Amino acid sequence: MHDVLNSAAMGKLSAGRPLYVPFECIIVSVSDLTPNEKLFRLQVPEGKALGHLPGQFVQVSLLGWGEAPISIASSPTRSDYFELGVRRAGSLTGALHQRVAGDTIGIRGPYGRSFELDRLRGRDLLLISGGCGLAPMRSLIQYCEDRRAEFGRVTILYGAKSIEDTLFKQDLNAWETSAHFACSRTVDRAQAGGCYGGNVGQITSLIPPLTIDCAQTVAVIVGPPVMYRFVIAELKKKGLTSVQIVVSLERQMRCGVGKCGHCSIEHLSCCQDGPVFWLHEIEHLRGAL
Amino acid sequence: MKFLSAERIADFFAALATSFELRLPVMLPDGTRSIGTLEDGPIALQGGALDSKPTAVFFPQQEVVFTARDGEVPDTPLPARPLLVVGLTRCDLDCLRFIDRFFAGGWRDDLYFRQRENAVIVAVSGYCGAGGSLLPLAAGNCDLELVWDGSCWLVVPYSESGGSIADSIADSTGSGALQRIRTESLFHIDEGDAIIRRASELLRANRVPDSFWEEIGDRCIACTGCNLVCPTCTCFGVQDWRYRNVVERSRMWDSCQLAGFMREASGHNPMGSEALRSRRRIHHKLAADPERWGEISCYLCGRCDAVCPTGIGIVAVSQELVARFE
Amino acid sequence: MKKTLTVCPYCGTGCALYLVSDGGRLIGVEPSVTHPVSRGGLCVKGWNAFAFVQHPDRLTTPLIRRNGELMPASWNEALGLVVERLQSIQQRYGHDSVMFCSSAKATNEENYLLMKLARGVFFTNNIDHCARLCHSSTVFGLAETLGSGAMTNSIACFDQADLIFVIGSNTTEQHPLIGTRILNAVRSGTKLIVADNRRIRLARHADLHLRHKNGSDVALLNAMMHVIITEGRMNRPFIENRTENYAAFAENLREWTPERAAAITGLEAGEIVVAARLFAEAKNAMIVFSMGITQHSHGVDNVRCCAALALLTGNLGRPGAGVNPLRGQNNVQGGCDMGALPDVFSCYQPVADPGMRQKFARAWGVADLPGSPGLALTHAMDAAAAGELQGMFIMGENPLLSDPDQAHARQALQNLELLVVQDIFLTETAVLADVVLPAACYAEKEGTFTNTERRVQRLRKALEPPGEALADWEIICALAERAGYGGMRYSGPAQVMEEIAALTSSYGGISFERLDQHGLQWPCPDAKHPGTPVLHVDHCTRGPGRFSPADYRPPHETADDDYPFVLTTGRTYFHWHTGTMTRRSHLLDREERSAFIEINPEDAGRLGVRENDIVLVASRRGEIRVAVRVTGMVIPGVVFIPFHFAEGAANALTNNVLDPESSIPEFKVCAVRIRRIV
Repeated sequence: MHDVLNSAAMGKLSAGRPLYVPFECIIVSVSDLTPNEKLFRLQVPEGKALGHLPGQFVQVSLLGWGEAPISIASSPTRSDYFELGVRRAGSLTGALHQRVAGDTIGIRGPYGRSFELDRLRGRDLLLISGGCGLAPMRSLIQYCEDRRAEFGRVTILYGAKSIEDTLFKQDLNAWETSAHFACSRTVDRAQAGGCYGGNVGQITSLIPPLTIDCAQTVAVIVGPPVMYRFVIAELKKKGLTSVQIVVSLERQMRCGVGKCGHCSIEHLSCCQDGPVFWLHEIEHLRGAL
Repeated sequence: MKFLSAERIADFFAALATSFELRLPVMLPDGTRSIGTLEDGPIALQGGALDSKPTAVFFPQQEVVFTARDGEVPDTPLPARPLLVVGLTRCDLDCLRFIDRFFAGGWRDDLYFRQRENAVIVAVSGYCGAGGSLLPLAAGNCDLELVWDGSCWLVVPYSESGGSIADSIADSTGSGALQRIRTESLFHIDEGDAIIRRASELLRANRVPDSFWEEIGDRCIACTGCNLVCPTCTCFGVQDWRYRNVVERSRMWDSCQLAGFMREASGHNPMGSEALRSRRRIHHKLAADPERWGEISCYLCGRCDAVCPTGIGIVAVSQELVARFE
Repeated sequence: MKKTLTVCPYCGTGCALYLVSDGGRLIGVEPSVTHPVSRGGLCVKGWNAFAFVQHPDRLTTPLIRRNGELMPASWNEALGLVVERLQSIQQRYGHDSVMFCSSAKATNEENYLLMKLARGVFFTNNIDHCARLCHSSTVFGLAETLGSGAMTNSIACFDQADLIFVIGSNTTEQHPLIGTRILNAVRSGTKLIVADNRRIRLARHADLHLRHKNGSDVALLNAMMHVIITEGRMNRPFIENRTENYAAFAENLREWTPERAAAITGLEAGEIVVAARLFAEAKNAMIVFSMGITQHSHGVDNVRCCAALALLTGNLGRPGAGVNPLRGQNNVQGGCDMGALPDVFSCYQPVADPGMRQKFARAWGVADLPGSPGLALTHAMDAAAAGELQGMFIMGENPLLSDPDQAHARQALQNLELLVVQDIFLTETAVLADVVLPAACYAEKEGTFTNTERRVQRLRKALEPPGEALADWEIICALAERAGYGGMRYSGPAQVMEEIAALTSSYGGISFERLDQHGLQWPCPDAKHPGTPVLHVDHCTRGPGRFSPADYRPPHETADDDYPFVLTTGRTYFHWHTGTMTRRSHLLDREERSAFIEINPEDAGRLGVRENDIVLVASRRGEIRVAVRVTGMVIPGVVFIPFHFAEGAANALTNNVLDPESSIPEFKVCAVRIRRIV
């Protein structure tokens, strides 16, 4: 079940290090994604690579503020840095938002099961994300971009609450015009009289118009909890089955290494066995979706 | 076989205390038996399983994960002397074995193994249960076992460290009594065992409706005692305390019976109802853990049933569940 | 590793627990398995009772305000300053220009000593504590009707009741281990009536849940008694042999038909009849009440009715029958017993009685003691606000959050020439102080607490206080010494208890040695006495039980067009009062992070608010912002806000109108309006 590379990553930066002690990474740059979200570009000391795979997360640790799991928003193919998109939600992320380039923050990880690239290679990918879910998805999108030949058609669908809440606007613009991808996005609501000319409506509204080669396609979904059921229902209408759908779930993780128990879904531990799951592995589990 | 008379026990442990950090059953001032040090009260090996969680020795209610000074985390020195933990019963040892596996699996929890690694475990069994009843022989899962045959403690080693402790004892006796206790232990049946196995079947077959868990939830005041005394409960929370130049990060026992346990920053809560939380407490031990670890993770130590102020410990709930849905 | 047997510092249930420490660091708790109240269990606060003790925010040195800022100072300087300025104020404005606020969180010995300091050293009866805000109406009402302002029964008695009538107590949340007794009793067949318009956990298990309007308790109880009398279900022999004033009382009930009460309470007349019959039919019926009864401008009348219902049906003086006010704080019973009240010495011995004054003056070695009762806490705040009180010494209370009408409380405290606060954390009140004295918490000192069933129990020192903090009793004694009084030199709290026992008949047989295991229940008049589990067995403490008639008075504020909702305030399971301890306990804090308002779905729909919306709640006195919880817990027209949260302080809204007899404020009813912000 675990990606081989994932286990290899287990060894790299964390080898010989106490499990719960973070290592320091340097903030290279900070940029605003939305009024509530910032993108942090970080470097591991001594030019080491973080050694992650798309879909994995790190535990961000600020001394005095605690820790929080944050998905890695950049691809390992761009290995001289890694990026984290962080929404300001509580005291820790609030403190993180105060940090600037040159500051250091604590990192543990990378942790968790990544997107199973071996099973995505050669397939058409339908990458569906909502809200903050674009952060982990971006890691996969960048990976596809950098290893474009390894994948079939790659379609990106993204939905945000509003234009203001849309993450990675420049990336989205680039993907929309890129020959590598088909990319559509939508917002739940647009300001009347605003200059936005794109789709307005739920993310699910982007699915029916698609032409999908059912046998070839794998869909990946990352988004807020309310999104999954509806998107999955639409995909199933299109003929996709649970073995062709990948989800990445968000849970309240304290340790990131399968010990604290906060993210368990029945017998599974979201931080260890996930956060990426094939739908058939979890759809029957209580409280998973 | 080596043995210790009741009178020799105090000297025996006093001698061990010179090379080990001792944790053993003691009688506290109000009659509560608990695991403690020789200073906490008279040794109280007799009386059955202790009320508090025996695995707390390695995984205490709150412990420092690390202390950072001026942003640096210095290496924590290893404990000076190994722990010698006395008083675990057969089911306590099963619990310990289970959480050893849990903390070792995947990412190894070095914090747990700091104390656990070199610890010596001494079990108790024989006719030293409540009112002189039989505590079944552990026969393994420990370094040494003290078996009360009604008049003295038979000393049964299982490991090298247990062996050298036994070697230090002078008195020897025959092994007839041990044989008798071994045989009796084979026929020792905990009625709860069948109950939780049947409850486990029902849960795994998805035959327990949510309305049942709503009823249980109605009776739960969320004291969290069931989790906090359970030797196989391992969930924890993490806090940072900020002093002037020092940050102390510690972890403390947490409880899946609390609404905040899984509540996310967005407010979304995958275990957002009392019913779901009550289900989780039982389901995790009887259905989820068998799925993941291949065994039910309740070893019938009886602690949650004893601590629950409203009578909805795991055996009580399993009984109700079997009576209604089997 | 060390295990120290002590008493939980939170509610009045008084569960025993062991504090587990390792190398001077607290690492957990273990319940006491043999304790008669907690029997090996604890509630979530008890299980987390260790968590705040070594919090980095603990006060570690005295603080003195210099140039507007609180700065660290030495004990020598701080104590000198406090005494000097208190004395200076008294010289200029008279003895009664200063007020001492004692604490239901402090020990019996400390309450006794602060009382002694106020009366014996500073010659004022201006001493009170937060019992004023929770059960002063109980103390008044039960003293008048039965003779003892305390639970008539023991907690263990709950198992023996055939019916439990819970009115104005959210027992499973506020006295959790008592609440579980009730749940267990119900499962073994005990009938349960819950009268509380919030759908509390107990209500889910009740045979009858009465959701009467806030502040209509007198109408409900009078009508129940009306039914009992008209149907001839009263206990005539008991009334004849054990009570007085029945005729006048019955006469007063004549007009209290269920129909009349229905119109006031919002209940069906039939519900009231059913409640009356259920209660009267029970062989052993027990009344349990708490702040839902007491915190009203007619709190004493509410208590009178509760007592009368028990007298009328003869439910008194037996293990399963009685009147049981559940005292809120761990030591609020003790605070009252010790005479941290403006009108009495320990054990309710009146200061107005020259004989009592003489007795205490002789024991304390002072020439004279003040004879006129002092100010109640609530009146002291009014006096300070009006500029009629200049100095206030507050030990272990946080009135800025706990008193009604926060703007008024703030003005009162800011108006003072001298405010001294002695506490374990820099509370909202301490921030306003001129001098702050750092105190040891429950885990760092010796002493006794008296729980709600009158059980005097020992707390024991598990570790040293942080920094220079001292136990409250040590600070009080040092202040006395500074003021030139030599009569407060004690080897420790045990010796203080000897003095208390000598002066206080109900504690006469109590000593630290005798309390060694699980304490003694007062009255315990002599060294051989085993303590008293049930009061009023053969006769009431006062002699005959007195029927005190009460007439319905509506709450001071009711909903109107401008303020269309009734606000009721209270606590949550996870927090304690102003949150100084629980909001610094990681798990408890996580469970309830911020202020909220409970709104019925019907009202939420009408207001157009949804779960987690932020609303502005305003009363005639103030406004706060809180998050919405849409829930059937409350009835339409009524909203609930807990008072724990400084950033959404319910007491910015509450009404500082007082019960005329007990001076308890009407925390449970005021009128508010609600507006959605985000």
